[in-house]
Amino acid sequence: MKRKAVPYILLIPLIVAFALFLVYPLYKVVETSFYKASFLNPFYRQFVGLENYKWLFTFKLFDPKLSYFLSAFKRSLLWVAGSVGIKVALGLLGALLLNSKYLIGKKVYRTLVIVPWAIPWAMAAMMWAWTLNSEFGILNSILMHLHLIKAPVTFLARPSSAFITTFVVDAWVGLPFMIIMILSGLQSIPENLYEAATIDGAGDLTKFFKITLPMIKPVLLTVTLLSTVWTFNSFDIIWILTRGGPIRATETLPIAIYNISFLMVRFGGIGKASAMTIAQVIFVSVIAIFYIRTLEKGVEA
Amino acid sequence: MKRSTRELTKKIIYQILALLLIAFLFLPIYQMLVTALRPADLPWKSPAPLFPEKITLQNFKSAFDLVPRLPRYLLNSFIYGAGVSIVSLLVAIPAGYAIARFHFRGRKPIMIFVIYANMFAPIMLLVPIYVIMKKFGLVNTYLSVILAGSIFTIPLSTWLVTSYMQTIPKAIEEAALIDGCSEFSVIHRIIIPMISPAIVAVLIYAFITGWSQQFILALTLIKSDELMPITQGLYQFFSRSSVRWNELMAAILMSTLIPVALFLVVQKYIVRGLVSGSIKE
Repeated sequence: MKRKAVPYILLIPLIVAFALFLVYPLYKVVETSFYKASFLNPFYRQFVGLENYKWLFTFKLFDPKLSYFLSAFKRSLLWVAGSVGIKVALGLLGALLLNSKYLIGKKVYRTLVIVPWAIPWAMAAMMWAWTLNSEFGILNSILMHLHLIKAPVTFLARPSSAFITTFVVDAWVGLPFMIIMILSGLQSIPENLYEAATIDGAGDLTKFFKITLPMIKPVLLTVTLLSTVWTFNSFDIIWILTRGGPIRATETLPIAIYNISFLMVRFGGIGKASAMTIAQVIFVSVIAIFYIRTLEKGVEA
Repeated sequence: MKRSTRELTKKIIYQILALLLIAFLFLPIYQMLVTALRPADLPWKSPAPLFPEKITLQNFKSAFDLVPRLPRYLLNSFIYGAGVSIVSLLVAIPAGYAIARFHFRGRKPIMIFVIYANMFAPIMLLVPIYVIMKKFGLVNTYLSVILAGSIFTIPLSTWLVTSYMQTIPKAIEEAALIDGCSEFSVIHRIIIPMISPAIVAVLIYAFITGWSQQFILALTLIKSDELMPITQGLYQFFSRSSVRWNELMAAILMSTLIPVALFLVVQKYIVRGLVSGSIKE
C-alpha cells in the first residue's frame, strides 16, 4: 500500500461521521429554511423562497417593538454576556486563588472544583431547582440566616430574577472548566519572571498586570470564545428550570428554536425554525473564526 | 515582623475566598446530599434547616419502589454513554494518528473543521437528525442517540488523541515501520498501548458528555419508556401536584457517584488535551 494513502484511509471514519451527521444535516437546515414545512408532516413542504427569513424580522409575539426572533436573539446575547461574564471573572479569580502560594490545601481545592463538571446538566438543573425553591430551598434559608433577605425570594417566578438566576446556574455549570483552563495557563508562567519582578520591587498588582495578564491572555481569549459559543448553545438548564418562562423572560434563541420546531407549530414550523438556526450558525461561526485565529497564533500550554 | 503579619492576613483572606468559591460550587450538591439523606416523612420546614435533623438511607430504597424502572433508565444511560464513547474512540484514534503523524494535503482544513465542529450543539441539527434517523428507521433505538451524540464528542476526542500523540516520540513507530510492520499493525501494536492514558481520557470524557448531552437528543429521538435515559426517567419523580424531592435527590446521587469519581481520575488528561489546542506546526 502506498504510504500517501494511509492518512486518508485513517480519516475515513471521521469524514463519514461528519458528512452524515454534521454536514448533511447542516445542508438540510439551509434547504429547509427556504421551505414551508412542519415537523408534524415531514413529507409535505412548499418552496417559499426568502419568506422564512422575512418572518424572522416581521413576526411579532407579545412584544410590539421587536420581532419574535430578534427579541430571542437579543435575550440570548444578554444572557450569554451575563453567564460568560461570571464564568470569566470567577474563573480568573478562582484560578489565581488555586495557583497562589498563600493558599493551603491547593490539591484538595483543585479536585473539589472539578466535581460540578461531571454532573449532567439536566441533573444539575434539577438540583438547582430544588436549591432555589422559594419555600424549602436551602439558598433562601442561608440568605435568611445571614440576614441578607427578610422574606424568601421567588427566584424563578419573576421574569427579571428568572433571567438572572438561569444564567447564574449556567455559570455554575461552566465555571469548573474555566477555572481549570485558566489555572493551566497560570501554571505555564515561568516562576523566574516573578522573581525578577520582586527584585525590581514590583508589587502584587504590578505583577498581575505586567506579567500574569499578558502571559495568560491567549488562554483567556481562547476559553472565553469557546465558552461564549457553548453558552450561546445552552438548552438543558433553561429548559428544566423555566421552559423559557415566565412570560418568555428566559426564551433564548435555542429555546425559541425548539418551541417553533416542536411546540408552537402553528406559528412557525421547521422552515422558520431552520431560518432561526441559520442565524445561530452564523453567530457561532463568526466566533469560531476568532477562535481559530487565536489558536493559529498559538496557545502553548 | 510586619511582613509576616501581612502574609498571614493574605493567607487568611485567600483561604476564606477559596472556601466561598467551594461553597458556591457545592451549594446544590450539599442540598442534594441533605435532601437525599433526610427522611421522606419528615415535614418540610420553611426556612429549611441548614443541617440535617435526621439521617436515613431509606430514600435510596424507596426511589426504586417509586420508579421501578430506575435500574433500566440507569442501564440505558450507561448504554448511551458507553456507545458514544466507543464510537468516539473508533473515529478519534485513527483520525488523531493521521493528524499527529502524517503530513498530507488537506491536513490543516481537517484540523480546522474538527475545531469548528466542536462549536455545534444538538439543538442546531435536531430536526434534520430526526429526519435522517427516520429515513434509516433508527428513531426510537439506542443507535440513534449514540450516533447523533457521538458527533458532538468526536471533535474533542480527536483533539485529545492528537495532542497526546504529539507528546510521544516517533522513534519506536519508525523502528517498527523499518522492521516491516504495516501502518495498521503499528496502530494496533504500538500506538494504542502507548496512548492508553489518552484513550482512557476519551472514554470517560465521551461517556460523561454523551451522558450529559443526551437529554435533548433523547427528548426528540426516543419515544418509548424502556429506552429513556436516566435524565428523562427522573421526571417520574415529578407529578402534577408535587415532586418527590427526597427520592429524586437520592436517585441523582446514586447515578452521579461513579461518573464523578471516574472523571476526577482522568481530568488531568482532558485538561491537557484541551489546552494544547495549538494548530501551529
